Amino acid sequence: MDLTVADGEYFIILGPTGAGKTILLETLAGIYTPDDGTITLDGRDITRTDPKDRGIGMVYQDYMLFPHLTVGENIGFGLRQRKADPASIREEVQETAALLGIERLLSRTPGTLSGGEQQRAAIARALVLRPHVLLLDEPLSALDTSTRDRLRRELRSICRATKTTVIHITHHFEDIFALADRVAVMQEGRVIQTGTPDEVFRKPASEFVAAFTGMENVYCGVSRVLNGEAAIDLGGITVRTVSEIEGEVCVGIRPEEVILSREPFESSAANTFPGRVTEVQRNGTFSRVFVEAGVLFIAVLTPQSVERLRLAEGVAVQVTFKASAVHVFLR
Amino acid sequence: MNVFQDRAPLPRPTPFKVIFLAVLFCLIAYFLVVIVGLVVYPPFPALVESLRSREILFAVELSLVTSVVSTALCVVAAVPVAYSLARFSFPGRGLVNTLFNIPLALPPLVAGVALLIFYGPSTFGKMLSAFGLDIVYTPIGIVVAQFFVNLPYMVRVTRSAFETINPRFEHVARTLGCTEWGAFRQVTLPLARNGLIAGLVITWSKAIGEFGAVMMLGGATRMKTETLPIALFLNMSTGDLDLAIAASVILIVISVISFAVFERCSGDRGVF
Repeated sequence: MDLTVADGEYFIILGPTGAGKTILLETLAGIYTPDDGTITLDGRDITRTDPKDRGIGMVYQDYMLFPHLTVGENIGFGLRQRKADPASIREEVQETAALLGIERLLSRTPGTLSGGEQQRAAIARALVLRPHVLLLDEPLSALDTSTRDRLRRELRSICRATKTTVIHITHHFEDIFALADRVAVMQEGRVIQTGTPDEVFRKPASEFVAAFTGMENVYCGVSRVLNGEAAIDLGGITVRTVSEIEGEVCVGIRPEEVILSREPFESSAANTFPGRVTEVQRNGTFSRVFVEAGVLFIAVLTPQSVERLRLAEGVAVQVTFKASAVHVFLR
Repeated sequence: MNVFQDRAPLPRPTPFKVIFLAVLFCLIAYFLVVIVGLVVYPPFPALVESLRSREILFAVELSLVTSVVSTALCVVAAVPVAYSLARFSFPGRGLVNTLFNIPLALPPLVAGVALLIFYGPSTFGKMLSAFGLDIVYTPIGIVVAQFFVNLPYMVRVTRSAFETINPRFEHVARTLGCTEWGAFRQVTLPLARNGLIAGLVITWSKAIGEFGAVMMLGGATRMKTETLPIALFLNMSTGDLDLAIAASVILIVISVISFAVFERCSGDRGVF
C-alpha cells in the first residue's frame, strides 16, 4: 500500500467493512508497528516512533471518551500529559469546546451525553493538541441522519479553519462530496484507487470501485426547493427531483437508470435533455454510452439496444431519467 | 441482571413455583438458624469476655497483619499477571491460563504440604535457613501460605476486570501523549477500580479465613502462629468452646461484611 497525503488535505479512505481501514489508522497512530514499510510525517520517518511523540490525533467511531472523567477533563487529558499549567489548560479546553459548540457540557460525564455530543467531545479532545494529522475512524457512522449532516458540515469548516490534515475513514459516499479533497478506495487491505472525488466517481479504476460507489453520474450544482420539488442548476442544465435539500449540492444518477432514445417521447419521467453521443465503450454484457447534454452523462445499455438505436459517436439522442433516479447530497 | 427473571411469580402460584420457592426459603432459614445459633449459643457476657481475652486479641491482630500483607502482595503480583492474560498474546497463553486456574480446585491442605516441603527440607529451604530466613512454622509462613492459595483468585477477578475494558481507551490515551505506563495508570486502573476492589476484598477475606495451608506451613502454635481459624481449631480441640465460638463470630462478621462489599463492587459481572 502506498499513500501520500498532502499537508492540510482532507483525505478520505473509502471501503467496505472489513477492508482493514481501522487497522490502517491504528498503524498510522502507532498502536501497531508494521511488519515492513515506512511511515513518514513531514519528511521524518516515524515508523518506530512512540504514539505519544507522533502528533497524530485519533477519533474512533464509538468515541472512547474516558468514562471516569468529565468532558472537560477528557478534552484536557492530552494537555495534562504535557504538564501544561492548569490555567492554560482550562483556557484551551474552553476555546476548543467553543469551536465544537460543547462549552456548556464541560462538567458533565460522557455517559450523560447524546451520540453527537460525545463525538464532538472526542474530536475536541484530539484537536486541542493541534495534531499534525487527525485520524477519524467512521466519525459519523453511529449518529442519526440529521446530527450526521450537521456535524459533517461543521467538521469541514473546523478542519479548514484549523488547517488540520485529516485522514477520514468512511463507507458513506455522502462524506466524500461534503468533505474530501482527495479519496482512496480500499479493498481487502489494499488501496485500489486514489484521486479527487470527481476522478474516483467518474472514472472508477475497477469494477469494484464502480460497484461500490455505484454512481458514475455525479454533478455539483445549486439546489432550489419550491413546494417540495427541487430544481438543481448544474450549469448547463437544470435537473428536477423531489428533495428538501437546498443550496450547494451534488447529485448522483446510476448509469443503469439513464434512458437513451432517438426521439423525445412522452412519459412520466421528469428529466429529458437533448444531447450527442461522444463515445461508445463495448465491454462484455453491457456497453457504456457517453452523451454530452450540457453535462456528460454515462448510460449503461445492452449491446442489442446500442445496435437497435444505431448509437455511435456524433449521433443525436435524448437523455431521460426519472426524478426518483436523482440522489441529492449536501456538499 | 437476570433478564429471564419472572417479575411477579406469586400472583399466579403453580405447584412448580410453590415447591421451588419452598425449597429456597427452607434453605435460607436453615442457614440462618445454623449460623445465628452459633453466635447466640454461649451466654452473652461469656462471649464478650472471650472476645476480649488475650488469646483472641492476639489471633485478631496476627490475622489482620498477615492477611493485609499477603493481600497486598497478591495485588502487586496479580495486576501484571492478569493484565498480561487479558491483553497480550504469547505462545502458551492458554496453558498459562489453565495453570493459574488449577490451584482454585486444589485443596489448600495439599498446597500447604507442597509449600512445607519447598521451604523446609528442600535445597531451597535449607538455603533460606542458612541465610537466617525461616519460613516454616513462623508468621512469615502464614503470609506465604495465604499468598500462594489466594493469588489465583485475585488473578481471576482482576483479569475479568481488565477484560471488560476496551483496549481502544488505552490506544486513545497513547495518541494523547501517554506512555504505556501512563495510559495504564490514568485510564486502565481507574476503569478497573471496582473489579480491583472486589478482588482485593474477597482475597483479604479468604486470607483471614485460610486454615489448611496456613496450618501446614505456619504450624498451629498457640500465641505464635495462631490466626483466627487456628485459634478456633486449637480451642475446639482442647474443649474451650467459648473461645472457639468467639473466633468463629469474628470470622462470620468479617465474611459477611467483605462479601457485601464484594457484591457491591463486582456488580453484575459475575466473576465466578
